[in-house]
Amino acid sequence: MRSFFRIIRFALQSMMRNFWLSFVTVSVFVLTLITINSVIILNVLANASVKSVEGRVQVTVYFTSDSSEDTVKSVQGYLLGLSQVKEVSYVTAEEALANFKLNHQNDPVILAALDEVDGNPLGQALKIRAYNASDFPFILEALETPEYKPFIKEKNYDNYESALKVLSDFSEKVRLGFLILALFFGFIAILIVFNTIRVAIYVHREEIGIMKLVGANDWFVRGPFLLESIFYALIATAIMAAIIASTLSFANPYIVAFFQGVDVDLVAYYTTNAAPLFGAQFGILAFLGLGTTAFAMRRYLRV
Amino acid sequence: MRRSLRSVRGPPSAPPVESLAPLGWFDAAWYNPIMITFKNVTKEYPPKTHALAGVSFRIEAGEFVSITGQSGSGKSTVAKLIFAEEKPTSGHIHIGDWDISNIRHSDIPILRRQIGVVFQDFKLLPKKTAFENVAFALEVAGESSKRIRDVVPHVLKIVGLGEKGGRYPRQLSGGEQQRVSIARALVHRPKIIVADEPTGNLDAITAREIIELFTRINDFGTTIVLVTHDRDIVNGLHRRVITLREGKVASDAEKGKYLLA
Ligand SMILES: Nc1ncnc2c1ncn2[C@@H]1O[C@H](COP(=O)(O)OP(=O)(O)O)[C@@H](O)[C@H]1O
Ligand SMILES: [Mg+2]
Repeated sequence: MRSFFRIIRFALQSMMRNFWLSFVTVSVFVLTLITINSVIILNVLANASVKSVEGRVQVTVYFTSDSSEDTVKSVQGYLLGLSQVKEVSYVTAEEALANFKLNHQNDPVILAALDEVDGNPLGQALKIRAYNASDFPFILEALETPEYKPFIKEKNYDNYESALKVLSDFSEKVRLGFLILALFFGFIAILIVFNTIRVAIYVHREEIGIMKLVGANDWFVRGPFLLESIFYALIATAIMAAIIASTLSFANPYIVAFFQGVDVDLVAYYTTNAAPLFGAQFGILAFLGLGTTAFAMRRYLRV
Repeated sequence: MRRSLRSVRGPPSAPPVESLAPLGWFDAAWYNPIMITFKNVTKEYPPKTHALAGVSFRIEAGEFVSITGQSGSGKSTVAKLIFAEEKPTSGHIHIGDWDISNIRHSDIPILRRQIGVVFQDFKLLPKKTAFENVAFALEVAGESSKRIRDVVPHVLKIVGLGEKGGRYPRQLSGGEQQRVSIARALVHRPKIIVADEPTGNLDAITAREIIELFTRINDFGTTIVLVTHDRDIVNGLHRRVITLREGKVASDAEKGKYLLA
């Protein structure tokens, strides 16, 4: 017990008195955590974006100008009867025209062409939202009945299909990309941490020799170094938590504003997951630090 | 289990020396008058350096023995064998009754807590103060903090550094650093102090002071093995001298002189 407290004291003393070495080691640990957290944050944002884009996908079904409002309403009812459909909104011909003009307000050619035409070239329309973007093919297929088909002038089925494909591909790729990125950074982090600790122990090799000469057993020599690497992990995790807390409290409004309408609340994400997130980060660092320290001492010091 | 020299000794055969103030095992010194035994020791460093070739001698408790010889004659090897930094290639080495020829790795710290070592380059921990350097030797041995607070200042006083315990090695002169390292070697009251060229980095006057310190320590009863090639020191001591030549004992003389070549 007495030795245990002494080992703790030696570890703390050595950290203070080798300030620059400690500083560098903690910095490397913090940088490692910054990369890990960047990957986490990007992943959270990407997931939220993909979800929100998926949620925003809608299919517009345009009806011929001679279809009656009743027909359109009955199609709306039919669609709402499908379990995959979340929302169907009715758009009058006038609203469709107004929307169209609004969407093309910076396009004088199209606006001019519209003026050339008599009356309203656009008919009524239905805007469909689904619970899952991947259900659209099924929903649109359902409109291919002889009952409704003649009234339907156009569905932007084709456009959306490719958009959907891109989107689901994108979310797959994003996940894979982040996995690769995380592995890559993780690998680099391991190399850097490994090397930093190796250098730190190399710097101390003479002292370790002296400790052994005056009768320190292996644990007395190893203990402080192993503890130091745990303390470094602890300090780095605390610093990282402080960085995250201060950065997010400052940046969260901007992030939320940037991702208009998307449900991204990183502050909430980090607060609800604080224990597992930072626990895991501390665990990773401590494991890495301990492993490297043990390895370096075996390899370079034979203790 | 903790092993100490006492556990392998026979019954007392001589009265205690008054000033020893023994710390546990220390009083064991007079149980067996033979402190260090080299029996036909050879040491080869791979691939084929024969540092020692059949060295035998015995050193009794309380002796002050100088080991001399030219550079490369094997003096440091003898020192390293005593505190088990090296193991003999063949032959036997006993410290007291403990055969350390094949000492287990985990027993080495126990041996070293009973032998004080002093080196030419002092080997102080640079990030620890003089006090902490001396205290360290007790801390690794599991000595109580109270005892450490009592003993360390006392030992620093003995080596003449009563005031400078708070200084780091770089704030001390060479002679002072060597005194710290002697205090460290002394603090757990070892039976044996092995000093390998302790005056090698010091000027003549400082060197003489350090040697005087060793003779005083020897007067307390501690066995001293002084490795040196300094002729003036050896001749000034008028003590036993073992001279090595090419890894063999060339002469072993009571009240010896430094032999030329
Ligand atoms: N670790 C070692 N590896 C190989 N050779 C060594 C080693 N240590 C000492 N030697 C060789 O052993 C011989 C005796 O060395 P040493 O005991 O240091 O002599 P001294 O201290 O008398 O100068 C020398 O030839 C030296 O080169
Ligand atoms: Mg030598």
